[in-house]
Amino acid sequence: MTATIAEPELSTLLYQGRWAWLRFNAYIGAMLGIAGMAMFGVGAYEENAFLYQILSMKGVMWGGTGALAGCGLAVVASTMKPVLLDAKMARNITPWLDGFVLMVILAAIWALFEPAQSQITYEDQSNLFAGRIIMAMNVIFIFSAVSYIAYLFAPESFIGRLATWTAYTGVFLGGSALLLRWHESYLFDMEIGHAPVSNLYEVFILLFCITAAVYLALEKRYEAKAMGAFVLSLVSAGVFFGIWLDSVGQSDIKPLVPALQSYWMKIHVPMNFVGYGSFAVACGAGMAYLVRHRLEAAGGTSKMLAIFPSLDQLDQLAYKAVAIGFPAFTLATILGAAWAAEAWGGYWSWDPKETWALIVWLIYGAYLHARVSHGWHGKALAWWAVAGFLITVFCFLGVNMYLSGLHSYGRLS
Amino acid sequence: MPRMQTFPDLLKSLWQRIGSMSLAIILLVVLAIASVIGTVLLQNQNQADYLQQFGPLWYWVFRSLGLFDMYQTWWFMSILGFLMVSLTSCLWRNVPKMLKDMRTRKAAVAEKSLKHFKYLHDWQMQDVDADQLQQSFRQRLQGWEFRQVEQDGVQYLRADKGRWNKWGYILVHSAILVVLVGGWIGSEYGFRGNMAVPEGSSEHEISFLQGTETGHLSMPFEVRCNSFSIDFFPTGAPKEFLSNLTIIDHGKEVLTSDIIVNEPLYYKGVRIYQSSFGDGGSDITFKMFHMDGSETITTAKTKVYQSWKDEKTGLSIKVTDFKPYNVENMANPGEVIDFQDLGPAVVYELRGPDLKPVKIKAFMNPFIDPKGKNQGSFMMVSLTGDKADYKPVSLGLDLTNPVEWKLFHAFMRQLAIVDKASKDANLTAFKTAMKEVFGAGKRPERMQDVAMRTLQAVNMLSALPWPMLPMLGDFEQHYYTGLQLAMDPGMNVVWFGSAMLVIGLCIMLYMPHRKLWLIIHPESKGLHITLAGMTNRNHLIFDQVFNDMFTQLDQDFRQNT
Repeated sequence: MTATIAEPELSTLLYQGRWAWLRFNAYIGAMLGIAGMAMFGVGAYEENAFLYQILSMKGVMWGGTGALAGCGLAVVASTMKPVLLDAKMARNITPWLDGFVLMVILAAIWALFEPAQSQITYEDQSNLFAGRIIMAMNVIFIFSAVSYIAYLFAPESFIGRLATWTAYTGVFLGGSALLLRWHESYLFDMEIGHAPVSNLYEVFILLFCITAAVYLALEKRYEAKAMGAFVLSLVSAGVFFGIWLDSVGQSDIKPLVPALQSYWMKIHVPMNFVGYGSFAVACGAGMAYLVRHRLEAAGGTSKMLAIFPSLDQLDQLAYKAVAIGFPAFTLATILGAAWAAEAWGGYWSWDPKETWALIVWLIYGAYLHARVSHGWHGKALAWWAVAGFLITVFCFLGVNMYLSGLHSYGRLS
Repeated sequence: MPRMQTFPDLLKSLWQRIGSMSLAIILLVVLAIASVIGTVLLQNQNQADYLQQFGPLWYWVFRSLGLFDMYQTWWFMSILGFLMVSLTSCLWRNVPKMLKDMRTRKAAVAEKSLKHFKYLHDWQMQDVDADQLQQSFRQRLQGWEFRQVEQDGVQYLRADKGRWNKWGYILVHSAILVVLVGGWIGSEYGFRGNMAVPEGSSEHEISFLQGTETGHLSMPFEVRCNSFSIDFFPTGAPKEFLSNLTIIDHGKEVLTSDIIVNEPLYYKGVRIYQSSFGDGGSDITFKMFHMDGSETITTAKTKVYQSWKDEKTGLSIKVTDFKPYNVENMANPGEVIDFQDLGPAVVYELRGPDLKPVKIKAFMNPFIDPKGKNQGSFMMVSLTGDKADYKPVSLGLDLTNPVEWKLFHAFMRQLAIVDKASKDANLTAFKTAMKEVFGAGKRPERMQDVAMRTLQAVNMLSALPWPMLPMLGDFEQHYYTGLQLAMDPGMNVVWFGSAMLVIGLCIMLYMPHRKLWLIIHPESKGLHITLAGMTNRNHLIFDQVFNDMFTQLDQDFRQNT
């Protein structure tokens, strides 16, 4: 597992130096512009039609101005301090934002395949196009998981590359399907429209995409492909749950209950899933660690060992994933508290969901502490990463299914 | 003989233990496990429910441990307090050391400590200028800070990146303290409670749960609810709850504003939230159908939460609730859910001499089945007063139509006259009753349905024990709006702590402190070069940085020579 030094020309050009730096700042500027529109624009923020506010002339003006300002500042800053052109932040984050733009483009293309307006009814949502893309995503993710597992047994064959490419495809399908679903929610009635992070089915798709994306980022940077078999298997398990949700009619777009009608939902929920997704990846790394440990204990002659990252590297990868997830989860919990302060009259009510979020936070906090202190390494921490994810799953699913509380809209009805 | 520990020594070692890492891990896990209890056991419920659920023994055990409101108990607070003490101790011991570490960066490294470096390379080079080598080292490390020193003929060049990393640690740990202090300020000097304000009235007192009792607190102002309304989605689901409120401070109206869920009102440090709603004493007009065969219908006017009594029969009605919409699942068990709005309904308790008290939910409109067929008026009757025991009672007649009431009585009178033994007794009686009510040859629309309902009513109505049948005749609805009022002087402290926490985490996890040394020993035949490195986080990337540095330096100068 060494650095990927020999990369193709194009990606060097795109993701390093001037272009990456410019794009990075343009994206940041555009996002700030849109946020500025939501906060200060005339007509400000319209809960019912935010998607179209972004896509309207006004949104383009605010976002475009932001992007231009970002570009301008980027040019000025980089002339004054050329070191910035090598900025790691721009290099690491730009591909994600590029990917997001690609998802938006894909979603716009999918939108052309929607049935005619007269065919769209709230009662029967089965003819909407997003459902088909999600089904394609389901198949692709399962295929990818199978390929990753096959790769463990046939490292030389093309199946490894296939696995990676299908995982990418799944992420783009899922992401664009969610964006399309946002658009579709407005097709019934402008009042019903809302961001696609309002029920279990939608956030599940978000979770698959984020988990796979975080994993792919680690795979690209650290060539830890053997881990994919574990992470994508977790994703596939989720995919089956998603298919079940769909089959019992949980996939319908429903209007938002008053408590959820807030811009906080659009920030708080995705941020939470960055945390959950990263913890899933950490769990995958922990599982890979335990498997490798077992293989080594069995004599270490297995051919698989050659493609597995070393124990030390797997240990580091699990840590790396937690290091992505923990701040995101912290921020998400704080955002949730801020929302609660605005909607429920107090930032903390010891509601079961809140309490379980705290428990997850404490568990991963303890994980980070255990790492820093001596003696805690390797196997124990790998188990910790796996157990931590099980607790995370309970926080995400179990609380909604078994415990009552203020987050009851996440419930299966 | 082992030295006796003096008391200050003991305290000192205790203080160090308290701030230790292993105690921190134990505390975090203990806190996590303790928190689970309160999520499994529903908090702040009715004590009677608990008693019923757990039985007397466990109820008292749980109650004495405070498990029904466990996040406020002394022992849970003690865990949090202990965490604060541990954090303080940890900061107390480590911060001065860290600050000193960050300030002083010694360029020279002792030969002995070099051996412990995880990242280390030694190699020889000839005909290389030490200055050039150092120059190249500096150029490759854009954005790093350098320090250079010559000691005993050995040249040390040290490069640092992210040397403020320890600030991340300090920020994160003090942030937790700040958040906990903020929470403490909130619970000590803040309040949070509910008030229900009926439309058109005002209120100045909030109530809140205090352990197992309800506490009250008077606000420095009054809140008047001018109106409350619910807005619906086209699908029938509620979209928005809106209250129009006026704040009255010392008798003066100071502020009028709308509030909805997610958009509270702020006045004098108190936030006012839309939290629930209910009936605020709607005007109810009952139509009383006298069951004595006199065909009489009288009206009775009352309000929700009030009682009405009939002097003659001693029958009393206590109205407990009114709802203008009653969406019920009309599907049989096992079928696809099918929600229907059954229209306005009033809930009341019916009492009278020699009568078993019952709870009744009487609907204003007759029940129209999915095929559009009128099934007559109906009510839900609960003999125990429990919602779960509601049984639907179909009254047969459509009581909103006075003609049916008339027809029913005519039919009853004819039934009494006709020859019971005859086969067509019912039919004959009905035909005569029809003639009496409608006149010869005329018949109402949907004759068949009317006939069916009348027949059904004969069985149903005569089975009812009440002297009068109170049905909902008319209403004028008034809501109350359920508000939550909260003041939390510690909230901004919590937000400040939260910001510290996030910033600190980012510094701690993403800006590792990396150190690289280029150590040049001049030797008789050239230079002995040592490249040493150290990082406190993210070894994967640093491994690459370190190896790249070595290869590049090595290559550069081999080609040159």
